Amino acid sequence: MSDASIETSIRPDILPLGDAALLVRFGAVLDDAANQAALALAQRLRDDPIAGVVEVVPSLISVLLRYDPRAADFPRLAGEVRLRLGGVRTAAVPREHVIKARFGDEAGPDLVEVAALLQLDPQGFVDAHCAIPLRVLTTGFAPGYVYCGFHRESLVLPRRREVRREVPIGSILFAAGQTAITATEVPTGWHVIGRTEFRNFDPRFWPPTTMMAGDTVSFEVDA
Amino acid sequence: MSARLRIERAGPLTTIQDRGRAGLLVHGISASGPMDEDSYRRAGLLAGARADGAIEVTQAGLDLIVVEGSTQVGWEGGSFSVAINSEPKTWPGSALLNSGDRLTIKPGPLGNYGYLRFGGALDLPQSMGSLATSTRARLGGVEGRSLRAGDELVLVGEGVAPVVPLASGAGTGPIRFVWGIHAEQFSRDLRERFVHGSFRVTAAMDRMGVRLADLDNAFAGASILSLVSDPILPGDIQILGDGTPIVLMRDHQPTGGYPRIGTVISADLDRFAQMRPGTEVAFSPVTVEHAHRLLRSKAK
Repeated sequence: MSDASIETSIRPDILPLGDAALLVRFGAVLDDAANQAALALAQRLRDDPIAGVVEVVPSLISVLLRYDPRAADFPRLAGEVRLRLGGVRTAAVPREHVIKARFGDEAGPDLVEVAALLQLDPQGFVDAHCAIPLRVLTTGFAPGYVYCGFHRESLVLPRRREVRREVPIGSILFAAGQTAITATEVPTGWHVIGRTEFRNFDPRFWPPTTMMAGDTVSFEVDA
Repeated sequence: MSARLRIERAGPLTTIQDRGRAGLLVHGISASGPMDEDSYRRAGLLAGARADGAIEVTQAGLDLIVVEGSTQVGWEGGSFSVAINSEPKTWPGSALLNSGDRLTIKPGPLGNYGYLRFGGALDLPQSMGSLATSTRARLGGVEGRSLRAGDELVLVGEGVAPVVPLASGAGTGPIRFVWGIHAEQFSRDLRERFVHGSFRVTAAMDRMGVRLADLDNAFAGASILSLVSDPILPGDIQILGDGTPIVLMRDHQPTGGYPRIGTVISADLDRFAQMRPGTEVAFSPVTVEHAHRLLRSKAK
């Protein structure tokens, strides 16, 4: 097996979430290993589905499995999940997305401040931000919204103190070692550093969003 | 038989609902669907509905006129006051509406949500496989919004023979829940206080969630930390940073990072949704197995 194989050695908690779902959670903090483990389990559940499971939702460090409560029981499902954990497995080949974005000025009102906080000039920050491809860590916060990460340690900033009530569709947000892309008008406490014409949500098409957790995202300056 | 209806008056947050668009959490879309699923189903039997879809009426009620055609109609959910051309009818119930008839639903003694269903199908575009309105995501229904005076709805096709369902067994007593995905984040003492405390449904309630007043200050002063976000489902009981409990409902946010002490079981969520502001509510824990037995024993 090649680089695409992932070792998931974290023993997760398998918890009931009400009477129609269970949550498989890999630890309590967001880090690369926990995120990779959640994505690997979600992939495995797509490749080898469990009878009675009607929806699989990967999140940052967990996977939700929704089931028909009239047809399934929790211990059996938990056992089936355990059978799909551990060992080395091949991840699906990640799809690659190139996101062209305008950074700073009207498109990214927080860029100058963000760069200064990281002791960079704005151009230096944009270069550093776009230097390395990121992974879609998760989807699902809002329609088409994606979290991408992780940036290197020197690019980690906390969220803003104030929450903006609404930022435009296609906003590029930055905080917590991650970059997010919005696809609907949402409130956010993250720094707004740019904007893209890319739209990851269109309810007229199926599927309504195209970026999936595990995909690779590269940012480019839209000149 | 087909018909065209015109909404003359609609209470706030009156929406078109069907069984919802489950399966889209990964895309950031909650399922929506009726706040009281069983009443929705029963209204369909009363109407002889052959297709999914209803007007979900809120506390303030609704007036509509049949502009042309005729349709069988059925109503159920909570207890409202209903009349056709000013002649009172029983709730729940059904009737045949003809051209020119006016159906009036006014506030009644019980419940938050009533369902109006029809023999024919609502002629509205499906959005991702469903008519259900999500005002949060601006999807479904009429332009993804609540209904308002002047909206016209077209019904197409024949219904089937109306059926009067058996009396509903909505139940009474505490709302039962399964301990939540973050129950261990709460001390044993706090969990005890949640089970023994009294809460009250507040006016801050809608299709997204119901905020509760913590009458015994069970969570006052508790340090509530935010956590790495996980997906949410209807019935999840989140404790906000200031200690306010909120029960997330059909138009819930898709993910959340506040700790969830419990999740209301499927068998009790309809009953909880119908509790009006001011209603006192207590919570009682059950096992997942018990919740499943309740669902299986329910004659459907």
